[in-house]
Amino acid sequence: MAKHSPVIGRYVTIDVDGCEYKVFYLQNGQGVPLVCQHTAGCHNHQWRDLLEDEEITRHYNVIAYDLARHGKSDPPLNKEWWKEEYRLTADHYVNFIVAFCDALELKNPIFMGSSFGGNVALQLALRKPDRFRAVIPVEAAAHAPGFFLDVWRHPHANAAQVCASGVWDLMAPQSPDRDRWLTWHYYTQGSEAFRGDLYFYSVDHDLRDSLAKIDTRRCPVVMMTGTYDYLTPPDATEKTAAGIPGGIYIEMEDIGHFPMSENYPVFRVYLREALRIIRERTG
Amino acid sequence: MDIRDWAIRYAEASDADPTIGAMARYFTCTYLFDMSDAKAIVEMVDGKVHRINIAPQPMDPWDFALRASAQTWREFARAVPRPMFHGIWAASFRRDLRIEGNTLVLMQNLRNFTLQFELLRKVGVPV
Repeated sequence: MAKHSPVIGRYVTIDVDGCEYKVFYLQNGQGVPLVCQHTAGCHNHQWRDLLEDEEITRHYNVIAYDLARHGKSDPPLNKEWWKEEYRLTADHYVNFIVAFCDALELKNPIFMGSSFGGNVALQLALRKPDRFRAVIPVEAAAHAPGFFLDVWRHPHANAAQVCASGVWDLMAPQSPDRDRWLTWHYYTQGSEAFRGDLYFYSVDHDLRDSLAKIDTRRCPVVMMTGTYDYLTPPDATEKTAAGIPGGIYIEMEDIGHFPMSENYPVFRVYLREALRIIRERTG
Repeated sequence: MDIRDWAIRYAEASDADPTIGAMARYFTCTYLFDMSDAKAIVEMVDGKVHRINIAPQPMDPWDFALRASAQTWREFARAVPRPMFHGIWAASFRRDLRIEGNTLVLMQNLRNFTLQFELLRKVGVPV
C-alpha cells in the first residue's frame, strides 16, 4: 500500500506587472486560507510539516507556494530574464502575492511568511489591509540591513555551500540535526535567487517611517521571532511590533530564523497561539 | 586547558569528524584563532589538520582570522551556546567577533569551517 501524503501540488499561471509566471504551490486542508511564503533563496518545502499538521489543516486551507525563480516556479516565461540582474522589489513582491491569491480566488486569507516573507507580510498589512484577514510576519522587522552581499554568488566560491552554510547559524543549536540539515539542503538549491531576494530584504524594504500607518483593525499583525535569530534579533521585531498600533509580538524560545523548517514542533506551539489571537480578533 | 592540549584535541576531533570527512577533499586553508589570551594558526590540507602553530609570530601567514575577547571564545565553547554566540555570523553581527583577512577563502571553505568551529563546543577553548 503506497504511503501517500495528503498534500497535493499544482501549477497556476499568473500575470504580475507584465511577467508571466507559472507558479507551483502545495496545498492541504480546509477552512480559512493560510498562505505561506518561504524564506529568501529557498522554496515551499520549508512548510512541509505544517502542510501535514492535521490539527491545523482541519481548520485551515494551508497553501505554500514557490515564489517565481524558486523551487518549481520558473522565472518569467515571457521575458529574457537572463539578460538582467535579478533584484526583487517590494512593489513586485506585493503584486505577485495579490495576483496569486486572486488567481486561487482566496477570500480573506491569512498571510504568513518568514524572513523576507515576514517583511513582505508587513508590506501587505500596510498596502493591502482589506485583501488579507491578518498577517503573521515571522522573523521580520521594519528594516533589516546588512545581508545584500556579493559573496552569495561570487564565482570564486561554491555559491550553493556559501548560501547554505552562510545561513547555518541563523538556526538554533537546539534544533534537530535532521531538520537543520534539510534546511541546509534546501539552501544549496537557490543560490542564484538568494542575493536578488535579499535586495528586497535588506535594501528596498524599509517601513521605519510607515509602521504607524498600518491599520490593525482592518488587518491584525502578529509578529513572531526566535531568540537565536541574529539577523532579525528579537528586539528588532519587538520594536517593530511596538511601532504598529495594535501590533502583537510573540518571542519564540530556543529557535532561529527558519522556525517552521528547523524545528516545527516548537514553532507550532507559537503558531497556534498566533492563530488563536487572529480568531479572537476576526471571528 | 593548556593550548598544547587544546591543539591536540582540536586536531583529533576535526580529523575524526564524519561530517567534515564526507566533503573534505579540498578543505585547504590557513586561519588564525585570536582568543586574546591565546592564539593559534590552524593549517588545513585536504581536509586534515596539517599543523597547528600555538605560538604565532607577527609575520606568520594566514588566510583569514577570527578575533574576539576571551569571554566570547568561552561562550563559543559552551555545549549549547547562548544566542548570538552560536556561530561566526551571529557573533560578528551582534557581538565582538571580528573576521579579518581574505574572507573569500573563508567562503570557499565555509561548509567545513563552520562544522570545525562548532567542534569547540566539544573540545573547549584554551582561555
